[in-house]
Amino acid sequence: MNDPLDDLLDARLRDETPYIDDTGFTERVMKQLPRRRVSWSSQRSFIIVAATILSVVVAYFASGEGMFVHDAFAQMSGLRPLQLLLVILACGTAMTVAGLWAALTPRHDTIV
Amino acid sequence: MELTDGDLLARILVDGDQHAFGELVRRHQSPVRGLLRQLVRADVELADDLAQETFIRAYKHIRSFRGEAKFSTWLYRIAYNVFREHARKRRELVGIDEERLQAEADPQTVDPGLRHDLMNALASLPLHERTAVTLCCQNGLSHDEAAHVLDIPLGTVKTNVLRGREKLKKMLAAWAT
Repeated sequence: MNDPLDDLLDARLRDETPYIDDTGFTERVMKQLPRRRVSWSSQRSFIIVAATILSVVVAYFASGEGMFVHDAFAQMSGLRPLQLLLVILACGTAMTVAGLWAALTPRHDTIV
Repeated sequence: MELTDGDLLARILVDGDQHAFGELVRRHQSPVRGLLRQLVRADVELADDLAQETFIRAYKHIRSFRGEAKFSTWLYRIAYNVFREHARKRRELVGIDEERLQAEADPQTVDPGLRHDLMNALASLPLHERTAVTLCCQNGLSHDEAAHVLDIPLGTVKTNVLRGREKLKKMLAAWAT
């Protein structure tokens, strides 16, 4: 059987541990943190966007200022309605699959 | 669903997410500040300065946290080191002798009126006993975890807790009747 004084002491010690309200403490800490360096994921996003823009510009000039787009539209206007519907359906399906793959692929977080 | 400390740490490590660190500070500020208040004998402003230093140091060295102990235990260890450095500097500046400080704080020399307040009684314990009792009995750390925080042998922690509790019990015995 426990010494009643031990029980009393344990209870008192637990009771004497009040929660200390934050009252701006976290904010003060956050203000003093060293400036955040650009993370790898931000750098990666920047590289992808920049590479995409550059590729579009190069492709535009390399293809005779986008004549291939004009030609593609001209070809599509000659398609039958059913063929056009199939092309649209294929494009839509491809975009949906890509979107689902991007959304459902798990991120590889660091194990701490 | 609330994110665990591990989830938040992963966000800090992978994305440098400072908001995730802010959440960790919010979660752990109370016990860390409470521990430091005990260590500096209820000097609230000084304890908060040391707690602030604790969290900033934790952020700077977050990559050295290997997950071998709980995040809170790791924080307590940093807090204790910050406190020790502060105490050492203070001793060097003012020339205060730690043994004299502890002798002054010996429970037998304390005003008997203080026995009515457990917090004051706790504050009157010598530093090594006060720290061990605070970590184990107030903050709920195991003896092993406290030994890790204080970087001392397990047996020493047990002895310090036992002696500290005995002294507190003596003070409480008079107070409880």
